Amino acid sequence: MTFRSERQLLDPVSAFLARQRFPIQDAEIPFYESRIDLYGYSEDQHLTLAVELKLKNWQRALKQALLYQLCSDLTYIAMPLAATRNVDRELLAAQGIGLIGVGDSGRCRVLVPAELSPETRSHYKEAYVAFLKGRSG
Amino acid sequence: MSAKPPSVVIRLGSHAEKEYVLKLQSLLDGIIVGANLFEASPGATASLIRRMARGSCVYFIDPMTYAFGTYKDRDGALRDDLDWIKSDQQINKQENQKEKDQKTETVRDFKRSYRALSEKIGFPLNESIRRKRAVHPSDLTSDDALAEFCHAVAHYQTTRLSSVLQQDELLAKLFARAPSLAADLPSPAAVFAPYFYNEPTTAAEWASLNIRLMKATAKLNLRLPVHGIVSADVSHLDDPTFLRILRTELPKTGISGIWLWFSRFLEDQAPTEQLTAFGQLVADLSKSLAVYNLHGGFLSLALSSLGLTGISHGVGYGEQKDVIPVIGQSTPTVRFYLPPLRKRQGVLEIERCFKALGIASPEDFHAKVCDCVVCRGVVVKSLADFSTFGELHISTPQSKRPAQTPAAAKRCRFHFLLTRLAERDWVREASGAAIVRALDEAFETWGKQPTLVSQSQHLPRWGSALEGKTRKAST
Repeated sequence: MTFRSERQLLDPVSAFLARQRFPIQDAEIPFYESRIDLYGYSEDQHLTLAVELKLKNWQRALKQALLYQLCSDLTYIAMPLAATRNVDRELLAAQGIGLIGVGDSGRCRVLVPAELSPETRSHYKEAYVAFLKGRSG
Repeated sequence: MSAKPPSVVIRLGSHAEKEYVLKLQSLLDGIIVGANLFEASPGATASLIRRMARGSCVYFIDPMTYAFGTYKDRDGALRDDLDWIKSDQQINKQENQKEKDQKTETVRDFKRSYRALSEKIGFPLNESIRRKRAVHPSDLTSDDALAEFCHAVAHYQTTRLSSVLQQDELLAKLFARAPSLAADLPSPAAVFAPYFYNEPTTAAEWASLNIRLMKATAKLNLRLPVHGIVSADVSHLDDPTFLRILRTELPKTGISGIWLWFSRFLEDQAPTEQLTAFGQLVADLSKSLAVYNLHGGFLSLALSSLGLTGISHGVGYGEQKDVIPVIGQSTPTVRFYLPPLRKRQGVLEIERCFKALGIASPEDFHAKVCDCVVCRGVVVKSLADFSTFGELHISTPQSKRPAQTPAAAKRCRFHFLLTRLAERDWVREASGAAIVRALDEAFETWGKQPTLVSQSQHLPRWGSALEGKTRKAST
């Protein structure tokens, strides 16, 4: 499968993160002037996770991801596996931002693990946790 | 207006903004009102000017004559159809045209404010409306017609306030009983000569006309200072011929002040060469004229070290203005003005820097970011309070995206204005070197933060433009 839109990355990444114990999720969550492509919550770990989906422009994704660190414990950029070759992985690692490569089959691989963000603000995180919990009933 | 430069003159974009200028009246150096706004709401504008123009706060009326000239639109087409001073208007259909459910129709016609202005000024503005064609330099070849035009524009600025107030029945009676009250009405701080945009394809013709307009207005022997406005494309900052014309011709016009308006000149995005050219122009002109930037930001304030007298801008934006009108733009978010960067930023980009910069409490915020009255009132209990500057809501059930709440926008505007006034006061006392040092320090701290790196590149450019100019000016 060739990914033509970021939207096509959503399902495989969502399924992958659900298997990583982040089953409570929502897409396109507004965060001030931007929208978080995918936001997940792991109730047993009380951890949140934000994902920016991008086809190519990883620098732009990084800008977004840096902001998402304010509202989530873990932040990832997810891209087609082929596009991850151009990514400066050291730069991502230095900021604690993870990288997920999505293969043509939809199989996801963590290429750079995200680190717990020291930037997370509880006033943002808790508001999203309450929102996701409310939605999941 | 305060004798010590730079001064800050606030441009009123609409009457919705009057709350800001009224609350800050005692701190402002002046306000500037477009003649189109005056004609859109004469009573409200006159009343506001009367309340504002007290103490050291002065007022100006921008005659907005450029609106009747030509410009190149975003597709590169030369426009002289005056479409940008038109609007879609609902009018009642003629009886015989009435249909069952449609009693009105939409027509594109001149805005009432500009039509009214053209009627008050007369030739050539009224003629351009009648012909539905912009004023061309060839319309003003006759010196007599040109002098008449200048007289009308000056007369408008000096008498519009009193003529509107005289129309108020109560005030008219009061003025009749106590003529000194009418005589005490404030006059504008200066009278602007009519001006047109130096449309780049025929800039020499327009420049020649604009200089003649300044000369003719200066010759009117008004009891008020005469100022001119240079409205030109930013590309003219790269054009030595155009700049030489300004340097050599403006001081000979007889005016006492000049307001520069380089359309699309964004201080934070302009290359060093343009910043330097602008600074040099200011330094040269200020030897014989009071020089203002009509739509300026912090760099222009700092250029007071090279001779700039003052700047004007809007209450929440307007530190640059494109002469080509922007049509159909949604209301922009009023972002937080970050004092160290001298620039607006999103709340999140700023908040993401706090930890790295050791900002952990409201006290730290007030010490390292801003301690204006608004910030002291908003960031009180914890740093989380800062996010209220970016508060969003779904404004209508039809809205697809959240928009900034009116309260958050108001906070950002008041914070910006108070910060700008504090910057003015600081610049008045600071040396050029101290300003450059502050810009360098901000770059070394805020400019190294990952969310602001790309947004801080103007700081070293400003520093080098100011430094180079400071050195040149002192030699």
